[in-house]
Amino acid sequence: MNMRRTLMISKKLFWSLKHDRRSVALIIIAPIMSMLIFGLAFSGDVENVNVIIVNYDQGGNVPGMNTTISLSERVIDNIDEDTLVLSYGDDIDEAVKKVEDGSANSVIIFPENFTRNLLSFAQGSPVDEAETIEIRSDQSQVTLSQEVMATVLEALIETTESSGFSNPLKIDTSDPIYGEGAEFLDMFVPGIMGFIVFLLTTILTLISFVGEKTGGTLHRLLASSVTEGEIVVGYAISFSIIGMAQVGILMGIAILVFDIMVVGNPLLAFLIASILAVVSVSLGILLSSLAKRESQAIQFYPLIVLPGFLLSGVFWPIEAMPLWLRPVSYFIPVTYAVNGLRAVLLRGWGVLDIWFELMMLIIFAIVFLLLAILSLRRTSKA
Amino acid sequence: MNAIEIRGLKKYYGKVKAVDGLDLTVPTGVVFGLLGPNGSGKTTLIKVLCHLLKPDSGVAEVLGIPVKGRSYLPRIGYMPQEIALYEDMTVHDNLKLFAGIYGLDRVTFKRREKEVLTTIDLLERKDFPLSDLSGGQKHRISLAVSMIHEPEILFLDEPTVGVDPLLRAVFWKNFHDLKKKGVTIIMSTHYMDEARNCDIIGMMRAGKLIDEGSPDEILKRTGKDNLEDAFLDIVKRGASS
Repeated sequence: MNMRRTLMISKKLFWSLKHDRRSVALIIIAPIMSMLIFGLAFSGDVENVNVIIVNYDQGGNVPGMNTTISLSERVIDNIDEDTLVLSYGDDIDEAVKKVEDGSANSVIIFPENFTRNLLSFAQGSPVDEAETIEIRSDQSQVTLSQEVMATVLEALIETTESSGFSNPLKIDTSDPIYGEGAEFLDMFVPGIMGFIVFLLTTILTLISFVGEKTGGTLHRLLASSVTEGEIVVGYAISFSIIGMAQVGILMGIAILVFDIMVVGNPLLAFLIASILAVVSVSLGILLSSLAKRESQAIQFYPLIVLPGFLLSGVFWPIEAMPLWLRPVSYFIPVTYAVNGLRAVLLRGWGVLDIWFELMMLIIFAIVFLLLAILSLRRTSKA
Repeated sequence: MNAIEIRGLKKYYGKVKAVDGLDLTVPTGVVFGLLGPNGSGKTTLIKVLCHLLKPDSGVAEVLGIPVKGRSYLPRIGYMPQEIALYEDMTVHDNLKLFAGIYGLDRVTFKRREKEVLTTIDLLERKDFPLSDLSGGQKHRISLAVSMIHEPEILFLDEPTVGVDPLLRAVFWKNFHDLKKKGVTIIMSTHYMDEARNCDIIGMMRAGKLIDEGSPDEILKRTGKDNLEDAFLDIVKRGASS
């Protein structure tokens, strides 16, 4: 190996970078962003999960003392309020409705004789079965419902230890509101569906469009009376169809190979994927206006992958992100697609239940389409 | 009506004056050659006339229609310098795409596909992916695509760059055949020798039109026996005046 020739090849890269400020900027910005997003997304604990407490506990008299205590109140006092945001209700049905409409994750129900039975047990009276706190959760949000269960369990242990009880206590989660028997994979698959449609469509459009520009076909199309709007919408239509096909393939494998839970209407999942594909096409075209060559386009990948994967709730719940970072998630369209896909596939929600997610995706699609057309108009005539 | 009417056209890229106050009239039914060295503004001028670049000032009309609108585009054909076609698609699919854009019906497309591929002698390559063709064959397909819809004006940006002499002769025969059918051809070239095949040439330098006329007129005016010397003479005289 000739060292001089080898070094000339190395130097060539730096000489080309001297005149390519975009690549230099991306070489510096991409790792900074990647590390920050990755670190921040995974640095937090699950926080601010909304739960509703329905407390029927009547309390009980401590033998030998003329005072009434409520052990359920002590348990509630010991619940970590950074993790769970507590609100209170009197009626189980109303509380369940709040979980059904997505405004809370779980309902924690203390039975009427909670304190009395525990005190009786402490006095040596036999009990038929362990005292039970019922948690009715949206188990389709696997990470969150597990966190609710763990937090309540911690509070129970702390209460029994501080009160000197060693009573049989049980948490009953056998009647979830959604997602009965859901596992992490069930929660992960709808997320990954949204993410893959977003990732592949954005990257394929970005590469295709940079190719259209560098290969001269974009100019040939524009000179042949095609408008920028027709090009953008034409791309969006074809990638929507591809997006739906991708969801079909992903869902097929997920059901046949991994036996994932699907309780909702798959057609709605296709609809979500197709709108997300329109958003992704537009984003790809927008990004293509910043890249002159394929080599520059490739450097956008981390900027697409990391926020899409880590800040949209695909893998890690938004509730586990630092509070100040969460608003960023709501500017990422994948967030709404992932929420919508999970709600449809795991909870069986219909169009009316996911109207907000659909509306946000449509707003993103319209805004991004318009921006893509404008950017194409600007760059194609520059 | 003239094919092209340009008055005081300017197009700058920052400080670079690509087209700098150009006036030009091209009658219909001629082969008009924009002749000049690289960077003289030929491609920019063609792109302005094909609605691909917005002029900074001045007036440009194609077939009597201002270039700021798009309505004239279906009546023109454009062959860019690069191949500018889809390599992973077949010749047929490339032609079908642009025929579809121009709104050709199936019967007309079938007829035109046969005509243009026969003209460029590549009918038997119809179902080949473009990536399987040679560079020269791709150039010919590029020409075929630009004339699939029978345009009234054909804009050809350096159509013979990188083309071997034999194929160049085929191209020129095609251009003159099209002219006989009434098509106006506006082409740019920096090959001074082949510009003799044009009916009228416009010599460009630094974004300006420095001379215009038939090759014979220009040679006669300058007293030179080839266009290269004539071009240098015109540049020299322009610099000294």
